[in-house]
Amino acid sequence: MRKKLLVLTLAMSMVVGLVGCGNKGNGNGGGGGGDSAAAVSGETEAKEINGITYNRATDLTDKNIELTYFHFDQNETVEYLADRFEEIYPNITVNPVYENVGTYNDTLTTLISNGESPDIIMFSDADAALSNFWVADISAYYDSDPETKELASTINECGLGCYSTSKRYAVPIKFFPGVMYIDLNVLKKLNVEAPSRNWTWADMIQLIKDCTVKDSSDGMPYYGCGFYNRLDSYYGIAAAQTIQGEFGFDGTDFDLGVWAVGEQEFAGLKQGGYIAPSSQTVEMENWMGDWEQWCGNSGHVALFTEAFWTFQNTWNTPTYHEQYDLDIVPYVVPAVSEEDAAKDHHTIATIDFGGITTACQYPREAYELLKFMSFGKDGWKTRIELYNDETQVNASGIALKYDVMPAPITTDSEIWDGYIEMYCKGMDETHVGYWREFFESCLQPIPYGWVSIAGYWNYCDQYFNKLGIHDLVDSGKGKAADYADEATEKANYYHAKAMLDYFGKSGYDVLSDEEIEKYETMEKENS
Amino acid sequence: MSEKMSKEEKKQARKNRKKMKAGRLAKREAITGLLFITPWIIGALMFLAYPLITSFRYALNNIRITPLGMNFEYVGYENFTQVLLSDAEFPMQLADYVVSTIISVPIIVVFALIIAIMLNQNIKGKGFFRLIFFLPVIIVSGPILGMLNEEGAGSITAIDTQAITTSIQGVLPSSLADPISSIFENMVTILWYSGVQILIFLSSLQKMDRSMFEAAKIDGGSGWECFWKITLPNIKPMILLNIVYTIVFISNNEQNTIIELIKTSMFAGTQEKGYGYASAMAWMYSLIVVVIVILFAVLFMAKKDVYEKQVKKAKKAHKKELRQLKKIERRSARNAKKNARAGRV
Repeated sequence: MRKKLLVLTLAMSMVVGLVGCGNKGNGNGGGGGGDSAAAVSGETEAKEINGITYNRATDLTDKNIELTYFHFDQNETVEYLADRFEEIYPNITVNPVYENVGTYNDTLTTLISNGESPDIIMFSDADAALSNFWVADISAYYDSDPETKELASTINECGLGCYSTSKRYAVPIKFFPGVMYIDLNVLKKLNVEAPSRNWTWADMIQLIKDCTVKDSSDGMPYYGCGFYNRLDSYYGIAAAQTIQGEFGFDGTDFDLGVWAVGEQEFAGLKQGGYIAPSSQTVEMENWMGDWEQWCGNSGHVALFTEAFWTFQNTWNTPTYHEQYDLDIVPYVVPAVSEEDAAKDHHTIATIDFGGITTACQYPREAYELLKFMSFGKDGWKTRIELYNDETQVNASGIALKYDVMPAPITTDSEIWDGYIEMYCKGMDETHVGYWREFFESCLQPIPYGWVSIAGYWNYCDQYFNKLGIHDLVDSGKGKAADYADEATEKANYYHAKAMLDYFGKSGYDVLSDEEIEKYETMEKENS
Repeated sequence: MSEKMSKEEKKQARKNRKKMKAGRLAKREAITGLLFITPWIIGALMFLAYPLITSFRYALNNIRITPLGMNFEYVGYENFTQVLLSDAEFPMQLADYVVSTIISVPIIVVFALIIAIMLNQNIKGKGFFRLIFFLPVIIVSGPILGMLNEEGAGSITAIDTQAITTSIQGVLPSSLADPISSIFENMVTILWYSGVQILIFLSSLQKMDRSMFEAAKIDGGSGWECFWKITLPNIKPMILLNIVYTIVFISNNEQNTIIELIKTSMFAGTQEKGYGYASAMAWMYSLIVVVIVILFAVLFMAKKDVYEKQVKKAKKAHKKELRQLKKIERRSARNAKKNARAGRV
């Protein structure tokens, strides 16, 4: 009898355990339900917290609700913003969930497949989000929100976040403008004149060549360019104002002929010895005497294609000011034609997008939170307050201003004045002028393809990266122009296929019959 | 009163008889047994049968993991053909895996056997050495092993792996040379995989009857002869066990590039890949693993030895003789009866 009882207990506990570990069901139900408003009314009331006046939306639910915000943003910043949002809307509890970018998609997929979908998600791979209907159509909220009219012009003009449809699925969350950094001290040492602020692509290439000096007086060679981002990515956008994405994407078709010019030029610079050695290479060891070194420390590189955050994270830190003789200033990514260069123009930028999931029960409230975390003015007021307070630090004890701080994507002058003041704290007038000028010219961003073009990531994964075209051209084994035609066909094929899969009848079903026919023809022609 | 008592006694006796019925006892024992294995049955159904069936179902579908549930689109065997025909990486990695497994399994097992024999000797600090060889199993697992490999700890620094790789590549085609070279480059990792196998061999060696060795020594048998004639035949079943364990371990290990490829495809989240595609990959991979296991099992399955065969043959002959003897006895009895009847007549 005792044995029987023991066995029964074991069996029961196991079954209970299994049930407990099993599917908890989709707590979010069918999505879009509840008593959430269908559009943004625009009606607000003022609420002051910490000296900041917030425009509290009055058309949000009075119910006590919880919203989950799944992100790979700077965690302490998001938590601070979430707390402030809760202060503005006391009935809404925000549950921010951070996941490292390396495992982000895996964790999100697992959560969603377990029926534990968050309400709002960030994403940097549009194909995963669109092919699985992760993000809902938020056009009704976005179009009725007055703040969206004040965003950087390309967001609306090029339909960034709409993926070549008439619907909006995502908004920009983090914006890092494309920037060319020039070390003025290197130019002084080499007696090279600083380029014009309205420089062209050709001016930039000339600068790189002028600043490459192999037999310098101090015995350490100078290089024209130290690269993090490839120049061909920059060139692909800088070539023409009609381009809306990487690889010459004009909103419907790709044309890698444009990319091929930039790719070949960059390969030529590499082969000609104008590009500084990368870290962990024999060339680096020979140049700086240390395998691990970074060319940004050398004081022997004129121009850097570093990320926007490198300035605050690295060059603007006290250690760098004390240890290295650098004078880094920002230049806008030059346009190819003189006409485009003379005015503000499209430049590549790193933008992470985010959206509301299709399972979210309170999309209106989620939209307000999404806006607060991304482009919203109230959110940016809070961010600037946070970044100004250097006692607010990350897990490593570094002030949040120096930890991958993005730039506002709104054009609102109040926000930008506050941001520039905070950004340039401690700089002299000349340098503030450089930055102010740069920020005024950087608001026509075009993001990298994988966040803005349907099928782009599949194309890279299945074709472009598999062939290893960059390596082939860089090493001189192939000419970029030889790949351009086939690469264009493949890019168009993957894009057309993705458009049909994601937005056709079996997808979101938002394409018109004409559009479906167009993409079907495009798919057939390029397959 | 006595009559009443006898009735009650009869009742009790009937009850006892009922209780003692052999069928009921067997039934009750069967139920108890069943109850004891119920957790295992539930576990096997939930964690083995259900995932197997589900993954096969996934393999036949194109799956979208949406926040409102999973969308299935039946595509038949398209995922399997896609894996084989459109993605060259999987078949190539599969071929590399087969070659490297066939080579590395004997290396691991032989190494484990040698170390187990050495650890079975009467040496000082035996426990400490056993601990050293088993430690990688506990410490060096999963991400730690990956990090150590990244730092180059997977290869023996004293060996010029580059020279070995170059010479192998000079002799063999690259499809064979690459997996063989990678074995030399990851020699330490491979040897770290042998902790459990050493333990299994050690337990089997310790169970062996020492008198066999003593007898062999008295008869003049050398250590070498003892190993081949006594040790090896005795631990042969453990060799197969270790081979199967090693294959399964290598195949499911996080360092295995195919596992990484399946995982990447699973979370690719695109129309081309995803859960369905990854499940098709996993099924094909499992079949290859099973084939390798069968191959080694056929090679190392314990065959009955000659002595046992002869004993069995002799027993059979003896039984046959007995049957014939009985037949003769019966026949002679019948004949005797016949003769007796004929005599009366």
